[in-house]
Amino acid sequence: MEWLSSKVLKVLWRPTVNIVRTRYHSEKQQIIKRYGYEEKLWCGGLLPRSNGKRLPMPEYRPANPWTEKKALYGQNDYIDILGNGQIHPVKTLYTVPAWIRGVSGNEYQVLLRKKKLFSKTGYPAVRPKKWKELEKRLLFLSKMLNRKTKTGMSRD
Amino acid sequence: MTSILIKALKSIYISVPSQNAKFATSAICSNTLSITNKEWKYPPTFTKPREVWIENLDTIEEKKLGLFELHPTVYGATPRIDIIHRNVIWQRKYRWVSWAHTKTRAEVRGGGRKPWPQKGLGKARHGSIRSPLFRGGGVIHGPRAGNTHFFMLPFHLRLYGLTSTLSAKLAQDDLHVVKDLDIPSDNSEYLAELILSRNWGPSVLIVDDTDYAPRNITVATGNLPHVNLMPVYGLNVYSMLKHDTLILTQSAAEKIEDRILQLLHSDTRKQQAKFKLDQV
Repeated sequence: MEWLSSKVLKVLWRPTVNIVRTRYHSEKQQIIKRYGYEEKLWCGGLLPRSNGKRLPMPEYRPANPWTEKKALYGQNDYIDILGNGQIHPVKTLYTVPAWIRGVSGNEYQVLLRKKKLFSKTGYPAVRPKKWKELEKRLLFLSKMLNRKTKTGMSRD
Repeated sequence: MTSILIKALKSIYISVPSQNAKFATSAICSNTLSITNKEWKYPPTFTKPREVWIENLDTIEEKKLGLFELHPTVYGATPRIDIIHRNVIWQRKYRWVSWAHTKTRAEVRGGGRKPWPQKGLGKARHGSIRSPLFRGGGVIHGPRAGNTHFFMLPFHLRLYGLTSTLSAKLAQDDLHVVKDLDIPSDNSEYLAELILSRNWGPSVLIVDDTDYAPRNITVATGNLPHVNLMPVYGLNVYSMLKHDTLILTQSAAEKIEDRILQLLHSDTRKQQAKFKLDQV
C-alpha cells in the first residue's frame, strides 16, 4: 500500500529543482601550500624595466688608495741596504705570521715546517682536531708525492 | 679664510727675528749661496756630479739656500725600467701569503656512512656524502691556506732598483733636496699650500735621516694622507713610485748616497749569498 502511494506521488508531483550556488570561484581563497618555503624564482611577472631606467645597481664606493696601510706599503723593504746592515727585510714582515715569514715551497714543505714549529707549542693540545688534520694531510701529501709524482716535477 | 691665515702666519714669521738670520740674508743675496763641492770616498770617474738646489720649507715661496752635489752613480744612473719593475713585483710578492682555503673530503665533517646500498636501488653507487660529486662535499685541487709567493730578488738588482728609481725621479724633476724639515706652523693647510705653490703634485714622500721628525711637520702631515714621512731606512722603490714627489733632506740624501756607494764598492758576497731561512 505504502509502495503504491509513493509511486503515485512520484508520478503526480514533480517539483522544479533550482540549484543554488553557495560557493563562487571568485570568492575562493588561495590555499597556503608549503608554509615557510621561500620561492627563489621570480614569480612576479615581467622583470622591472621602466622606461629605460636602469636596474638598481650597488652604489659605487671607490676604495681609498691612501689609507695608512697602502700609503706606507713596502716600507723597510730595503732596510739591509739603507739601514745599518744588521737587519734583513724578511725580519720586518710583521704582518705575516712568524712561522711562514720568508718561507717558500710547496704545500708539503710549508706544512712540514708548520708542524715542526707548532709541535713545541701548546697547539697540539689546544687545537687537537686541527693538529690531527695537519698530520693527516701531511701523510696524504707524502704518499702522493712519493708514489704518484716524479721527483722535481711536482707543483703540489 | 686660508689666505688670511697664511698672511697672518707670514707676518708672524717675518716679524719674529729668526734665529737663522744669516740664512735669510744668504738666501736674498745670491752671492752668499752655500755651494758645496763634495769630496767623496769614491769619486765619479767619467761622469759629472748632478747638481741640485737646496730648498727651504719654512716659507711658502721657494728660496734657494744653496747648491748641492749628488753622486752620479746613485742619482744619475741609467733608469732601468725593467729593474724597477722587477723590484716592485718583488716587493708585492715577497710578503704575499694567500690564506684562501678549501676543505678536502677528509676534512669536511661527516660522510663516514655509506649513503645507500651499493645495489638494488637503481641509483648511482656512492660511498660518502662528502665526496666531491656531492653538494656540500669536499673540494679537489682547491686553494690551501699558507700559499707563499716568497722569493728574494738578487741583492744588486735591489741596489740598482734604488739607484734607477732615484735617478728617474731626479731626471723628471720629482726629487727635491731641502735643508731641514722645520716648518713655522703645525697647520696642514700651510703644507698643502706649499705643495700646491711649488707644483710638487698631490702626493709627496718626505724622507729624513732621523727616526724622529720635528713636531710641526709630523702634526701637519698627520691630516694629509697623501703626504708621508719616512726615515732613510724605510725608503723603497714602491713608495717612491706611489708618491709623485720625493723630498729628501740634505742629510738623508747624503746618507742614501753613502750607503749605496759603500755597498757598490765593497765585498757583498754575504749579501749576494742564497737566502737561507732562519739564518738571516
